[in-house]
Amino acid sequence: MAIEQKYNEQNIEDYYVEKEPFYVPTSDEIDIFESAYRQRVPILLKGPTGTGKTRFVEHMAWRLSEGLTARNPGAAAENGAGEKLPLITVACHEDLTASDLVGRYLLDADGTRWIDGPLTRAVKAGGICYLDEIVEARKDTTVIIHPLTDHRRSLTIDKLGSTIEAADGFLLVVSYNPGYQNALKDLKHSTRQRFVALEFDFPEEEREAQIIAHESGCDSDTAERLARLGLKIRNLREHGLEEGASTRMLIYAGRLIKEGVSQRRACQVSVTWGITDDPQVQRSIDEVVTSIFA
Amino acid sequence: MTSSDDAKQNAIEITRKELDQFPAPVLERYEIALEKLNGRLADETCQLWAQEGLEIASKTVRSWEAAAEFFDASVAVQRQLPSGQFLKWAKTGTSLCEDSPSLAVAYFKSSPKAMLRLRPRYIDDWANVCRALYRGTWKSSALACRLFEATPDLLETLSFEEFCHFGEFLEILSRRSYDQAGDALGAGIDLFPKITGDVDRFINLAQIVAEKSWRETAVLFDSATASLVELGAPHRAPLISLARRLVITGVSDAAGVLRDGANTVNRVAADNRDRLLEMTDGIAAVSAPAAPEFLKTVPEILERVTFDQMGQWQAEGLRTARESDEAAVTYFKLESPASQEMLDSLSSSIELSRVRDVIQMYCLALTGRTIDVQAAAALAEKNIGWFQGELPTTEGTTIYMPSVINRYTTKDENFGFFKVISTHQIGHIEFGSFAFDFNIPSALFDDLRPRLPGASELKAAKAADEAEKKAALTPPQVVVFGHETPSDPVPAATEPVDVEPREFLTDMSRFFDLFQERRLALDAFTVLESSRIDGYVEELYPGVMTMYDMVRTASLESRPDVTDLPAREALVEFMVRVSLGQVDEMLVPSEHIDVARKLRKLIRQVTSVEALVEDAAEAAIRAYSILIDVKNEEIDDDDFEQLEPEEEEDESSDEDDVVDPEEVIQQFMGQSSPDGEGEGEPEEGESSEPDMDSEGEGEEDYSSPQEVDYRGEFKPELSQLLSQMQMMENGEMSESGEMEPITQEQLEEMMKNAPEMDMEQTEGEEGGDQEVSEMIENLMKELQKRDPENQQFQPGPSQHVDEDGGPLTATEPDTFTYPEWDFRANEYKPNWCMVHEKIMADGEPNFFRETLAENSGLVAQIKRQFELVIPEMYRKQKRLEDGEEYDLDSVLEALIDLKIGVSPEEKLYWRRNKNERSVAVAFLLDLSASTAEAIDEAKKPSDDWGAPDDPVEYMVWLRSRRSEGLRRTYKRIVDVEKEGITLLVNSLEAIGDMYGIYGFSGYGRENVEFYTIKDIDEKFSDMVPRRIDRIAPLHATRMGPAIRHTAAKLNEAEARSKFLFLISDGRPQDRGYSREGVEKEYAVHDTRQSLIEARNMGITPFCLTVDKAGHDYMKTMMEDFSYEVLPDISLLPKRLPQLYRNLTT
Repeated sequence: MAIEQKYNEQNIEDYYVEKEPFYVPTSDEIDIFESAYRQRVPILLKGPTGTGKTRFVEHMAWRLSEGLTARNPGAAAENGAGEKLPLITVACHEDLTASDLVGRYLLDADGTRWIDGPLTRAVKAGGICYLDEIVEARKDTTVIIHPLTDHRRSLTIDKLGSTIEAADGFLLVVSYNPGYQNALKDLKHSTRQRFVALEFDFPEEEREAQIIAHESGCDSDTAERLARLGLKIRNLREHGLEEGASTRMLIYAGRLIKEGVSQRRACQVSVTWGITDDPQVQRSIDEVVTSIFA
Repeated sequence: MTSSDDAKQNAIEITRKELDQFPAPVLERYEIALEKLNGRLADETCQLWAQEGLEIASKTVRSWEAAAEFFDASVAVQRQLPSGQFLKWAKTGTSLCEDSPSLAVAYFKSSPKAMLRLRPRYIDDWANVCRALYRGTWKSSALACRLFEATPDLLETLSFEEFCHFGEFLEILSRRSYDQAGDALGAGIDLFPKITGDVDRFINLAQIVAEKSWRETAVLFDSATASLVELGAPHRAPLISLARRLVITGVSDAAGVLRDGANTVNRVAADNRDRLLEMTDGIAAVSAPAAPEFLKTVPEILERVTFDQMGQWQAEGLRTARESDEAAVTYFKLESPASQEMLDSLSSSIELSRVRDVIQMYCLALTGRTIDVQAAAALAEKNIGWFQGELPTTEGTTIYMPSVINRYTTKDENFGFFKVISTHQIGHIEFGSFAFDFNIPSALFDDLRPRLPGASELKAAKAADEAEKKAALTPPQVVVFGHETPSDPVPAATEPVDVEPREFLTDMSRFFDLFQERRLALDAFTVLESSRIDGYVEELYPGVMTMYDMVRTASLESRPDVTDLPAREALVEFMVRVSLGQVDEMLVPSEHIDVARKLRKLIRQVTSVEALVEDAAEAAIRAYSILIDVKNEEIDDDDFEQLEPEEEEDESSDEDDVVDPEEVIQQFMGQSSPDGEGEGEPEEGESSEPDMDSEGEGEEDYSSPQEVDYRGEFKPELSQLLSQMQMMENGEMSESGEMEPITQEQLEEMMKNAPEMDMEQTEGEEGGDQEVSEMIENLMKELQKRDPENQQFQPGPSQHVDEDGGPLTATEPDTFTYPEWDFRANEYKPNWCMVHEKIMADGEPNFFRETLAENSGLVAQIKRQFELVIPEMYRKQKRLEDGEEYDLDSVLEALIDLKIGVSPEEKLYWRRNKNERSVAVAFLLDLSASTAEAIDEAKKPSDDWGAPDDPVEYMVWLRSRRSEGLRRTYKRIVDVEKEGITLLVNSLEAIGDMYGIYGFSGYGRENVEFYTIKDIDEKFSDMVPRRIDRIAPLHATRMGPAIRHTAAKLNEAEARSKFLFLISDGRPQDRGYSREGVEKEYAVHDTRQSLIEARNMGITPFCLTVDKAGHDYMKTMMEDFSYEVLPDISLLPKRLPQLYRNLTT
């Protein structure tokens, strides 16, 4: 008897954002992204963790797909899926090498077989390739993306001795968090100047409350209070905290509250304890929590 | 005449003749005495008596005086004594005279009085007790005489037995010192009547002290006079016994025991006193030396715990005390950790110092601004307008709180009180009390502010008006204000009053200038503004409301009785109560019940999150206009009635203004100019007559309501002024452009007019003026400290231009030359600077040790963080030519390469590489003169300006400062740098990175001083802490050459990652390096160039600056490099290791 498949697996270039990801714009970033995409100008998303960079990319992938579908409704009717924009996300880490992105030969019963890396696949499929936390990757990996980010729009694979010209839909989007004060992990100028940069920061209180309410399903009063908590904790940035409380954190708290966890406790486990190990800062944040939540 | 008569006469004659040989007084006195005694004494006795006198007189050369005294005293003494005793008395005198005539004199002199209290059979004993003091010297005889003289007095309170003991004591003491004995005698005369009943016990104690440590008897008597007397009789005996026991067992300080004991006993409640002494006895039984310590500590303990809890603490101490005396002493001195912990666990009180950091961070979180938290006493001490030492308050940048809270029985509640205070106080900051802007429209009210005339304007206008009115008899209210648009700031009526508009330092001052009775206006505004803040807190921070309500309820309980107050004050009190949430039992004067309703409505209106500070101001105008019409007269208790609880009023009524704006304007227009039909004199004031000196009949002086504890002293004008200055410093005041410097005159003007200053004026009376001017002076200083202009670094002597001259040559040892980058010429000036390398001199190793000890918490934390780094040292290193094992990935790749015919990589191994962490770092400290600046203005030594001139006050002031503890010692930037380095060095030793510490300064390009504190390849030794100790501010800051020299040193170090860590407090500057204009740029560019050079050597530079203005030039100087501007210098010791860790991992 076949085991029922409980998961959903697909090739990375077949990954489309099907449903509209919830995203509340803070300013004109959607327009900028769309314009940049039309001009195929690569985009750099800067901002602290949990400010919606990844969500924004997903949202844009979906929105641009919608746009394509709208422009070509016939195709959509024909093959049922329409023309869509794949989104290929690579989370960068410090051992990420160039071949992890581009591809490598694998051993195989008959010899060797070349397998494309995610970047190559994105270039071929003409999707958005999103390199998350690019600074975490090794310095040499960033160099291979250079030709993809200028007028050449090409990827050179030296092991194959080939150069691939990017498919029309391809766009490189990278993100990084300038908040880490780490001299070794800064983006090189030669790299950063190849992108248009969109800065992300925590949304303003009202908007954040809206996001929290939507994402966690908690009531609007709770969401407002969580947003206020976020705002207050962010005041401690550089005074004991390296990063402010992310919206994501607040959403988690909202979710726990929705599940019936008491408000103070939910904030403690998802915010206070998550954000710092310093007992004194924890204590101070706890005091803020117990002020805001009865 | 009988023969016996003859014989008698004969004897008398003989005696007379004999007595006549002596100086005249002897015979004279004899005659006088004889006359009186003749009939009372038997002849024989009389003869014997005369014989005795003769014998005394003939004893020695000077004994005739004694004889005279003898005859003198005889008459009185004879009345007290039967004849046998009388002669015995005489004989005793004679024998005293043998020892010393002066003893006899004293004896006879005091006898008449002494005999009143002395039983005849004790006469001999008495003489002997006194005589015992006599040892043939002048001093001893004086002492003995004094005792004779004092006897009548002493015997008034002492039994003879006690007297003998006292004599014995004096004798013992006199063996050591006659002076001490004499003093003790004097003190005893004073003391004994006051401690009757315990005299014997005390003398006994004194005797032991005299035997053991005679020098302390004087102190003992002093402290007994001071303390035992105050002490209730029932507790004297046990305390004296305790002291006695302690003295016997070797604790010599009996005086201290009495003093501390009495002091302490008096501090505890009457029914606990016995138990306290029992406790002390209990301790003394186990460890005698600990008992006095206990007595000393008790007051401190009781400040934190209840008496019963202290019992537990004492019981725990007894267990410790059994171990050793030392342990007992430290425990009861409250010096041992065990003792403090025990107390902590028992105590519910919370000291501000313990929670200060948490509160500070809480405030930072809530407001987003760095709020300092200080003990309230600190502000009062500054003497800039706040007077209460124990009430919480804020001046816009710092919140001041009581230093200890012990109101509740649990720690949580006490901390909760701190939280309530801080939430309310920073509420003023968070919700903008001090951001009041006269011109911002309110959200809930029609704006009256722009339409009201300023009081000072009115005053100035009065004269002009007068003249005009004479010309045209036009009553002022003819001008129709209603047709003015509210936005028009200058109502037509003020047109003729075209005086120069007054300048106000703050918008708050301008606002209060609208009122004649500023005091009342301030009080109304205070209540309304506080209500507004409370409203915000209630809405935004419901979590604190439980505690908040508790505090408010407690505040209500301590409010004065409304019915005791005159009408206007009763209404203000009513407002306070409404604002504190009282609903029932609201007593208001019946006559003014409608006024009360209106006031209540105003409070309700501003208690909302929609309300702005401007709304509170508008509401205050309305409240004022209502209250000013209420005469402040005494009201009978019967004329108060209860105001019904507020109904759920319908929404529409909210819209209605409680007053008619037009009427208010009329009222304000009339407030100093005569109202009505152009009358010149302000006596008939049915609308309002606020002038203090022309009060209506039965009106009382208005005084402000009692403060609400958690709200404390609210001083909007001063606070606004101070926080504005602060904001300017932080560059937040961009819209109003630059503010002109405030002059002393302006301040004086403000202080004179500010309602918040009234208190001082009325209290101080004559001293008032002087105090105010002193305060103004202090305030000026405070403002100057906040003025950004004054914060700029004073450039050193940099007039000298040394652009001239040529390259330098390093000829001496340990000198090095470096080029300098001239950005204008875009080229290097070769060998332009000379670096002199020196090893920092040795200092004391204490600084290092003490810093580590003081920051033990932080040290542990940093260590923990750094330990997390260490495992990374053992990280697996891949792609090696040789190693522990094959690396699977590499082997696969090699195989693939072989298959596809490419030459494979040979690095196929991995190993755990212990030396993987290969870091060399050089710390370069800026030792320029500017690092001598105090880090915290408030803690500068120059805040001595608050010191009172009067020596007594000065001592009080000094003591209160001392008690503030170490926190107030003066810390310079360089000290913080030192601290940071100390902590870091300690941790670096744990990770094992190579590091060097250098300092630089200098003067001119030929003299760049470069100090080695620890060279990169030098091992850590005792010398390093010693050298750290000597780090001190020197001269200028020529960064370029210092960086080049450090880079050169780093370049020689063998490490894979190299870092140059520059810690500075400002821009680079030196003679010919940083003058105004282009040269400022010159220094910045040269520094930048040197950093680029370093980077080219593979060194990662990082700059940490504590210069708040650092962002501007750092952007240029450090472009492409990492840097950080520390917002608060005190963070440096904490931040430095963090940065280091982040940077190097």
